[in-house]
Amino acid sequence: MSTTFLPCGDYHENYKQDHAWWQTKFIKLKMILLFAVLFVGIPLCADSYWLSVCNLVGYTVLGALGVQLLIGFCGQLTLGHAAFIAVGAYTSTLLVLEFPWPKFLLDLGLAYPVSIIVAAIAAGMWSVLFGLPSAKVKGFYLILTTMAAQFITVDFVITQYVSQIGGRGQAFSLPPGTIKVGPWIIDSNLKVYLMMLALVILCVAIITNLLRSRVGRAWIAIRDNDISAEVMGINVVKYKLFAFFVAGFIGGIAGAFWISNLAAISPEHFPWFWSLWLVGVILIGGAGSIHGAIFGSVFMVVVMELLQLAVIPLADTYPKLLMDFLFIKEAAFGLAICIFLIFEPNGLAYRWWQVKNYFNLWPFSY
Amino acid sequence: MELFLMTVTTGIMVGGIYALIALGWVLIYKCSGVLNLAMGELTLIGAYVSLSFYSAGVPFLLALLFSLVIGFILGILTERIFLDKLIGEPVLTVIMVTVGLSFFFKGCVELVWGTDTRVFSPPVFPLKPIQLGPLIIGQVYLWSFVAAIILLCIFVCFFKYTRWGLAMQATADDEMAALSLGISARFVYAIAWAIAFMAAGVGGTLLGNINGLNISVGYMGLLVLPAVVLGGLNSVPGAIVGGIVIGVLQNLSGAYLDQFFPGGVKEIAPFAFMAVFLLFKPYGLWGWERIERV
Repeated sequence: MSTTFLPCGDYHENYKQDHAWWQTKFIKLKMILLFAVLFVGIPLCADSYWLSVCNLVGYTVLGALGVQLLIGFCGQLTLGHAAFIAVGAYTSTLLVLEFPWPKFLLDLGLAYPVSIIVAAIAAGMWSVLFGLPSAKVKGFYLILTTMAAQFITVDFVITQYVSQIGGRGQAFSLPPGTIKVGPWIIDSNLKVYLMMLALVILCVAIITNLLRSRVGRAWIAIRDNDISAEVMGINVVKYKLFAFFVAGFIGGIAGAFWISNLAAISPEHFPWFWSLWLVGVILIGGAGSIHGAIFGSVFMVVVMELLQLAVIPLADTYPKLLMDFLFIKEAAFGLAICIFLIFEPNGLAYRWWQVKNYFNLWPFSY
Repeated sequence: MELFLMTVTTGIMVGGIYALIALGWVLIYKCSGVLNLAMGELTLIGAYVSLSFYSAGVPFLLALLFSLVIGFILGILTERIFLDKLIGEPVLTVIMVTVGLSFFFKGCVELVWGTDTRVFSPPVFPLKPIQLGPLIIGQVYLWSFVAAIILLCIFVCFFKYTRWGLAMQATADDEMAALSLGISARFVYAIAWAIAFMAAGVGGTLLGNINGLNISVGYMGLLVLPAVVLGGLNSVPGAIVGGIVIGVLQNLSGAYLDQFFPGGVKEIAPFAFMAVFLLFKPYGLWGWERIERV
């Protein structure tokens, strides 16, 4: 299934070409350039602050991919994704801190990578548990059950019970040097950044491949019309739950990744606000496209950082402004969602598609 | 037994306030089909407005009246600026606009009034509890309940007997038919939002009287969601019953489950209950069952 417009006179001669990820020379060049910028350009040019911004972008992308999968591709509205990210983060933290790892695994530095996988599976299972109502309800009612997932998981289970494990009180601190991948100790923004890139590329690859397979087509059919999908012989419940699993899985990876960037982890890192933020991100980026999740994350994070940079010089004259920045950010985010939904309901990804098409079809753009 | 009776009575009284807010929610949904997730922030705005007037020395009832007027204006403005452009858009879009609105309102409230807990001082209702037979009830609860019930009655009469109320009922019932009879649907939507703002504002003021006013009152406003789901999304009696049931349930779980699950049972019990309830009765008690056709 080809999703790219091929230039005139360019034909596929076998199925391998047809299934290729990068179908034309131009796209190959573009992707190689992109990878060069990501892996070489940004680490060389950006200072520690901008690298941390990039890490935040990556974390948002990982979170938003799961939401995109549920809302944009499978049509299951969710407002509780932070819960699954929290499950991933806590599973990984607990495993790294408390699990009696065999000596050789610790020496090889595999404890954290293994914990990421376990955390992802745990978050996926947790997500399936709260996805079960989707067999019976949809739309607004599903929003409510996912909201229930958020409150039950983060505000109750994690705050009241999980946080008490080990008697540390509310937060688990992660001493420096705990997070180790292979021979490398993840202790600088640059290392976090490289790990983030690897994980984001992995997750994007997983989702893209799923989407162009039978599973992805089933999800899209369910999104477009679940009754018709059922009539066509798609096992709706199975695929819905699978979508919840994959979304939770990626959320778990996001959470497990994020602890490498934190010195301590507490339930306040996963508020309901974060769930809503992720949904806002994909709506601004454009629902129903993987580009959308990425563009939305980049846009939101960068705009918020710029807003912050703009506030700092003003803080000398209006010291109250810096204190109130959190509220300004919240109001700006809300307004941004409203404005995008009213004036650009298809999001940034659609704009990108239009620009690309303009050049593809130039000079006869009709 | 005493504890049980006390808990239930307090639950019913708080539930009355939830019912009032839930009524506003159901109204918006019935009239314009908008699933509003900003209800918590609407309660916040109304509560803070009346608190500001009250702190400035205006008598309580007058402050409440002012907050009703401001709620009315804000409701119409919100509908005209944001929701009016979204008629006919997909459900998710409209829901997310209300989510965006909730962020916007919350940010504005925090900017203007800060995040510290504020109390109505001097207290509006006498602090001394009242003895009703075997029960001891705080006057705040009692008067809040009475106020909520009075407003509920006013709203119900408004729907039954006034021209605007009848227009709203007609639109909720069948929009096309209402349009053909010369009812302006856009006007009805605006009025629905205005009334929701007013109801939520009064509800917020009463809630703020009970425990002091801060951002978490907005969370209490979110409790209308379990209430309306319980009653069925498009049923006004359902909203009232649902609100009261959620109030009772919340207090009961606070009183009895807290010893088994220490911590925030009271806050999450309505949501957990709602999630389970949805599995068995997806359309609530009196909601319309949606028949889907391909």
